Amino acid sequence: MTAILAARLAWRQLLSNRARLVSAIAGVTFACVLVFMQLGFRGALFDSASNLPRALQGELFLVNPLTLVMFRPEPIARVRASQVLADPDIALSVPIYLAQTKFRNPETGRQRTIQLIGFDPEAGAVHFEGLEALTPALKRIDTIAFDRRSRPEFGPITPRLEQSGPFEVEVGGRAMLVVGLVALGTSFGADGNAVMTETNFRRIVKERQPSKTDLVAIRLKPGADAQAVKQRLTTILPRDVMVLTGPELIAWERSYWEKGTPIGFIFGFGSLMGLIVGMVIVYQILFSDIATHLKEYATLKAIGYSNHYLRRVVMGAALMLAVFGFIPGFLGSIALYSLVAKATLLPLAMDAARAAAVFGLIFAMCASAGLLAMRKLGEANPADMF
Amino acid sequence: MSSPIALSGVSYTYDKGDRPVLREVGLTIAEGEIVLLTGPSGSGKTTLLTLVGALRAMQSGSCTVLGQQLMGASEAQRVALRRRIGFIFQQHNLLGFLTARQNVAMALELDPASTERDRLARAGEMLEAVGLGAKAESLPGQLSGGQRQRVAVARALAARPGLVLADEPTAALDRQSGQDVVRLLTDLARQRGVPILLVTHDPRILDIADRIVAMEDGRITSAPEPATGPAI
Repeated sequence: MTAILAARLAWRQLLSNRARLVSAIAGVTFACVLVFMQLGFRGALFDSASNLPRALQGELFLVNPLTLVMFRPEPIARVRASQVLADPDIALSVPIYLAQTKFRNPETGRQRTIQLIGFDPEAGAVHFEGLEALTPALKRIDTIAFDRRSRPEFGPITPRLEQSGPFEVEVGGRAMLVVGLVALGTSFGADGNAVMTETNFRRIVKERQPSKTDLVAIRLKPGADAQAVKQRLTTILPRDVMVLTGPELIAWERSYWEKGTPIGFIFGFGSLMGLIVGMVIVYQILFSDIATHLKEYATLKAIGYSNHYLRRVVMGAALMLAVFGFIPGFLGSIALYSLVAKATLLPLAMDAARAAAVFGLIFAMCASAGLLAMRKLGEANPADMF
Repeated sequence: MSSPIALSGVSYTYDKGDRPVLREVGLTIAEGEIVLLTGPSGSGKTTLLTLVGALRAMQSGSCTVLGQQLMGASEAQRVALRRRIGFIFQQHNLLGFLTARQNVAMALELDPASTERDRLARAGEMLEAVGLGAKAESLPGQLSGGQRQRVAVARALAARPGLVLADEPTAALDRQSGQDVVRLLTDLARQRGVPILLVTHDPRILDIADRIVAMEDGRITSAPEPATGPAI
């Protein structure tokens, strides 16, 4: 009951100075948007890093244990793909070739690095959106499918294809026919993707030994237990390959970006700066509210209100600012996310877990500002009232 | 029933000061008695008032207020005692963002058993009693100095205190409104039988008192006991 009365007093006090209230809410909103954007970029980075492993849809994968990140793979022996077929639960195993090479923008002539992904599209282990319809065309010599979600710097590939059908582009110094589009998505490691058969891949990347591949995607028979198969493969296979489940491959790719680069730290640091700025603003507001009402607070103490009650008033004000600053910050961030996602083609979107996390951070930010401001309450001494 | 205020041998020295502001003060106030405390500045009257009001911790002597011994009392005991005392200050010290009615109701919110409806109704009655029924929904900024001090009187009496302590309540007011406020305060206190200890310099209000106690240099120099002896 007293908590409600203290909160009501805090609310009335906040409302009494509209200009101060608005600037306090704006401060919290600003901090909120800043943290949302930093965490959004961070999440988009890690999500986009795992675009490729997610799209591959294998249940198990073989990779070289020395591989750090998928755009720079260490090769593995191609024969491992055939060897795992000995396991009765394995239905398919498809070698996947990965390399980065130059792609010449057909309009401007400028070159840009593109991610090449080569595999047998007929095997059915990989299901990029749009791939199935293109399989017959891709089987022809010197053909590729272009990722429609690649960055625009590669040129107007999509409109040109839709307008006038297949046309030639220069990939890795070789003329290749773009026969269609798949949907995959960019990542921090790759601005765009091109998909092709194993044979066509080797025609572009000539230095590759035919006995080596980069990744093997394995599909299991229905009802098979991925963990059990992984256990069996791990004991049978030599140590030059590592067996990962689909989620493990995604996590392993993410962890490179999280731990192997300063990017995670940078965005974390950016969030912290936002929170500190927000805390200083809220502290200033609460502090000046207490300072201007010091006599009234001392009077309340004199007529029998405890320090505890007044601390609740200050904390109530802090937490109200958290809530009222978060709401516009949250809505604004959703709008900014879609704006930035359009501009960068990064998978930037609001999700409930992040919203909850940011609310927690903003709440903690306002609470610590409240705790700091409370120290000023000690100066409200009722004995000085007379 | 013992006396609302009974002091004996109370001495007090400020941290920084080298000489005591109160020396062996003894003072007793009877039920319903209105006592003025006068004396030159620096005589220790305000210090005495803050000790009686449990706003300051005692150093030595004995001070019993509304049955609570304040020597050695804890902060919680002092806060609890303050709830039973009505305070009136030189400045009105009303919360500027609350209406007159809400300000008076603040004195009632300390009682956990009260309801919002009762508190606002009681606050309204108190404002009627000080002649401000029509101004109940005004903010302090919209009231005159005398009106604000009357709201402060209403706040001090709203929670049915066992004692009212006032410190120069007329100091910030012009002659007429100062007299009005003090008469209002004493009239309401007499109707309710509430004793008042009022510190003042103001010679114009000396006639309202049952007894005038004079202080000088930390000592009480006249009338420390009720004329009829303490009511025991």
